[in-house]
Amino acid sequence: MENILEVEDIHTFIGQFHILEGVSITVQRDSITVLLGRNGAGKTTTLKSILGLTPPRQGKVIFDGQEINGRHSYDIANLGIGYVPEHRAIFRNLSVAENLRIAERKKGDLERKSEFIFQLFPDLKRLFKLPGNHLSGGQQQMLAVARALVADNKLLLIDEPSEGLAPVLIEQMMEAIRQLSATTTILLVEQNFIMASQLAKNYYIIDDGKTIHSGSMTGLLQDETLIHRYLGTAVIAPGEKK
Amino acid sequence: MIKLATYLTKNRAALFVVGLLLVVFLAGYFLMGQASFVRTTLSGLTIGSLYFMVAAGLTLIFGMMDVLNFAQGTMFMLGAYLGWQFYTNPTFLFGIAPLVSAAACGLTTAAVIRPIVMHWKVSEQWQKRLPYILYAAAALIGVLALLGFDVLALSKTAMVATTTADPLAEAKPQELLSTFWWRPVLLILAGMVAAVVYARPGDFTQTVHRGDEKRGWIIAVILLALTVILTLVREAAPVTVLLMDGNWRFFLALIATTLIGAGLGAVVEISLLRPLYIRPLYQVLVTLGLAYVLRELAMLLWNPVAYQMVRPPMFAQPGEADTLWAWFATGNSTVNIFGVTFPSYRLFIIFLGVLMLVILSLTIGYSRLGMIIRAGVQDREMVEALGINVRRVFTIVFMIGAGLAALGGIGAAPFIPVEPGMGDVFLLQAFIVVVIGGMGSFSGAAIGALLIGLARAFGDYLALSFNLTPAIAEASTVIIMAFVLLVRPAGLFGRKE
Repeated sequence: MENILEVEDIHTFIGQFHILEGVSITVQRDSITVLLGRNGAGKTTTLKSILGLTPPRQGKVIFDGQEINGRHSYDIANLGIGYVPEHRAIFRNLSVAENLRIAERKKGDLERKSEFIFQLFPDLKRLFKLPGNHLSGGQQQMLAVARALVADNKLLLIDEPSEGLAPVLIEQMMEAIRQLSATTTILLVEQNFIMASQLAKNYYIIDDGKTIHSGSMTGLLQDETLIHRYLGTAVIAPGEKK
Repeated sequence: MIKLATYLTKNRAALFVVGLLLVVFLAGYFLMGQASFVRTTLSGLTIGSLYFMVAAGLTLIFGMMDVLNFAQGTMFMLGAYLGWQFYTNPTFLFGIAPLVSAAACGLTTAAVIRPIVMHWKVSEQWQKRLPYILYAAAALIGVLALLGFDVLALSKTAMVATTTADPLAEAKPQELLSTFWWRPVLLILAGMVAAVVYARPGDFTQTVHRGDEKRGWIIAVILLALTVILTLVREAAPVTVLLMDGNWRFFLALIATTLIGAGLGAVVEISLLRPLYIRPLYQVLVTLGLAYVLRELAMLLWNPVAYQMVRPPMFAQPGEADTLWAWFATGNSTVNIFGVTFPSYRLFIIFLGVLMLVILSLTIGYSRLGMIIRAGVQDREMVEALGINVRRVFTIVFMIGAGLAALGGIGAAPFIPVEPGMGDVFLLQAFIVVVIGGMGSFSGAAIGALLIGLARAFGDYLALSFNLTPAIAEASTVIIMAFVLLVRPAGLFGRKE
């Protein structure tokens, strides 16, 4: 099966608000797919709907051949989906080691993966014993990504990894994500268009809770009118914060 | 310890508070003389242990689920009653256990029938009417099941046993199995009828999680087996328990009360709180309502009279033991410790409080469950996204809280009057403890309980020696709270929001 994830016309409500009004996404195995769009367009909600954190009321989500919409979030995650939320939501009152340990699904996951994780993010080895709230913003982001790598995940949902990072850290993060894509599939939400365009193979543009455009990244890069129409605010240089 | 040291150097305000208390404490030592100082401190530790057992659950439940659990004091009160009943005469407990288990078994079928019931074609009008009809039917079946079951006479058996001092004569069931067996059967049925309402017939928009059905089956079957067992042992069990040695019976009562409390916590969390996680305010109201209902129920079952549980033999031998070691052999009611005479049972309460503190600290600090609880206090959603069943952890936390409060209740039963309103005072003090320590902080609850317990004891001493009104002891805790909040609005160990 070529597609690891198929999202078919999902509608998600948060309270009374109809946030997603028909989002359809297909993620090919072993590639990076990026969700683009303005702030508040529904990109984060799409990731959360896939995970069941904001369960879609209509539509289907098929992961690895199984229909997963309507399952508990923890059940969905346990099928092999890792989540890196926006705003570096690490557990600040836990140590770095515990932040990684808590993501274990089987005993010994962390021991098996630690070498790989430390090779991607060498800083974490030094910080291993520190409490999470002693970490800088960039280190917290690394930890948030590393946490999603502890268990064996077939798909990683990564929400704005470059947000608020210094340019040199963005470079490091991009390199890490590129290395990750060799072994896992990644669905990325990224405002930083330059980063997104260098990493992703396919793209989806979400606007007002609907997927309105999709295709391969190379195609999008040639279509300047499309970029300006929907991503005007998103086209910024790496590291520059709006 | 190192953590605490770094914490204190980083938080001047906390250091200031602790320092000030230390000064007051030392001043007390030199002004009061050693004997009264030691006695007052031990009294403070005793009461502080009880506060801790109520407050620990309160703070954990608030930190993890954002629910201010007003029923925590009621759990303490129920624990005292349950323990007293179990120790004095468990006929009542064994008499109603199969019925409670049967009703719970019926209710758990909601998860099993939901996938079917939700697709029933029910018109909007009937969707409004059906719950009332079904509840009425369930109530009717419930009344039929309990027809002729004199629960009020049954609940008084332990009281009679207290006065006649012959519990064995009272420890017999009111009716035989041949006329009893249909009561649990009917209650299972009543539970199932009510379960249809829980499954929300015709509401096909509700999210049905796959796997719930299987879990529902497992729980229902377990509860069914439990019901059968409890129905069968109903007649023999009370006598067996009463023939046991008093000390063993007491420890069995401690364990049984904790487990029943935890079980009650699970029932409350699953049936009342779980459907309301999207409406946090309603949850608080539900716990408040539950506190009132359970208090009235206690009043109905055991009359608004205060009882005292008899101390188990190992704390009741007349005379004074010279040392703690000597007490182990003699079981005297008082012990000479640090040069003062102190009731041995109260030392046991301090031991119990410290033991629970150590067990909980180790669990929270070093186990995987503790790690999940600490993470969940900060970000529930992310914990769930890691593949952890947070709802189940909620239930476990609620069970720990309720069980601990119930344990505190039975611990208090031999030296605090057991009456329906006893939980209210403890709930209020536990709230003060939690506010001082910082909402959601476990170490805060421990420190807060220590502070408030000591404040209570020293306040009492002050009132007694200067002939002041005892209100000064009650006021002292509130004054400490006000002072702490002025210096640190989030509490000593609270997170700044």
